[in-house]
Amino acid sequence: MMITFQNVSRFYNEWPALESINFQVDQGEFLIISGPSGAGKTTVFRQIWMGDLPSSGVVEVVGFRSDRIRRGDLPLLRRKLGIVFQDFRLLSDRTVYDNVALPLQVIGTSPKAVRRRVFSLLSEMELNHRRGSYPHELSGGEQQRVAIARAMVAHPVILLADEPTGNLDPEVSRRVIDLLIEINRSGTAVILATHDPRQVPAGIARFLYLDRGHLVNPNLWGGYRQL
Amino acid sequence: MNIRGKLGSFLITLLMVSLSFMVFDIFLVVSWNMGEVLRKEQENVGIEIFLMDDISEVEAVNLADIISGLEGVRSVYYVSPGEAETVFRADLPEQADLLTLLGPQFHLPASIQIGLYPDYRTSEKVGSLARIVSGMDGVEDVVYGKEYLPGLTRAVDILEKLVILAGLVLAVSISLVVANTVRLAVAKRALTVQIMSIVGAPGWFVRMPFLGEGLLTGIAGSTGSLLLTGAVSWMLMSSVPHEFIPGKWIMLVLILGASSGVAGSWLGMKSGIPKPRS
Repeated sequence: MMITFQNVSRFYNEWPALESINFQVDQGEFLIISGPSGAGKTTVFRQIWMGDLPSSGVVEVVGFRSDRIRRGDLPLLRRKLGIVFQDFRLLSDRTVYDNVALPLQVIGTSPKAVRRRVFSLLSEMELNHRRGSYPHELSGGEQQRVAIARAMVAHPVILLADEPTGNLDPEVSRRVIDLLIEINRSGTAVILATHDPRQVPAGIARFLYLDRGHLVNPNLWGGYRQL
Repeated sequence: MNIRGKLGSFLITLLMVSLSFMVFDIFLVVSWNMGEVLRKEQENVGIEIFLMDDISEVEAVNLADIISGLEGVRSVYYVSPGEAETVFRADLPEQADLLTLLGPQFHLPASIQIGLYPDYRTSEKVGSLARIVSGMDGVEDVVYGKEYLPGLTRAVDILEKLVILAGLVLAVSISLVVANTVRLAVAKRALTVQIMSIVGAPGWFVRMPFLGEGLLTGIAGSTGSLLLTGAVSWMLMSSVPHEFIPGKWIMLVLILGASSGVAGSWLGMKSGIPKPRS
């Protein structure tokens, strides 16, 4: 198992952001976590990259357990993950090339290897011509592709995409989703948080539905049957 | 933010740090010079013993030897009646006739001048030493500035305490201002810190550039303040003669600058680095 949630709860001032969550993610799986705003999707993601730890229960991600992880282990865990955010979170003072190269630079990859990998990835993402641009010079779709390139550059085993199409128009959103499907086909597990799971064609992904911090049985969820 | 924007932001931070430290530097210059006035005054503090008329020169020299062995005594100097007369004539030439009028059988008393170590120039210690030597055989009178010494000692004492207290308060408040200035500058780049952490950068990799920037800002800011204060000091030198602060105090300002810069960076990063709940 790549990810295991065992009876995970997270309370903020006694308010339950997550309550008794149990699920697993296999290697190479495509999982969609859906639910309305405030359902706890982002909180689940924070538990996965351990930017936050459970109030009770255990999260285990690629061998790192939330109840045993030390501060020094966090970078090791995060190097196995790629994370994409709704608001892109690109560094505005760095070019596309430098943004994408960052995860390799922080682990001490040689400049030559960084250059080779970044050029190759930017070509795949059709962003090579934009490598010298700054984020504010790019469209929303291009910024999100740069963010995905940054998430993928260090060959993560899991890609976390938190509402990656939230700020994009339908056509650009479709291209981003296609990119995620392609990434998943290459063997990377993809976890996509979205309030609109219909973006992903049926039969590709497994679904979890969150509502006010609780996992809801998909059979009780009308929207699931429509997929 | 582009390079020019970053440089502009860094220069503004640097200017704020320099101006804040300049207040501290000026305080140090004023304190140092007030201290110097009092220290010079204290250097003149000593004891003069007037000997009885019937004491021989050999006995006077023996007495000087005994006094030189007392705690706190740095030097003793025997002034013979002949030397005393020479000094009198040189220092008070308009009253030299007085000695002639008094006749050849009159002579000024021999004396011993006692120099003291700096720590023994306080009212209490000089008084105590004066009481000891006044009880010795052959001593007629002891003079040591009984009237002004308590005031001088108190003034030095108050100034020292004031400098330490006000200096500490000022150093802490300015360090907080500087730390906060650097913290705000670093916190503006919280996203950089956060992204570096999320992509798996080790803690030291994230922190080092920011701590380095804080250190550089602190040292450059305090150096700038010293240069500004030095320039002001130089301009005022002819109208208000004074000394600039000594090397040890300059080092203090630089260390304070460096440490407050690093502290500011550390605090600034704390708001930017995501960490799990403990």
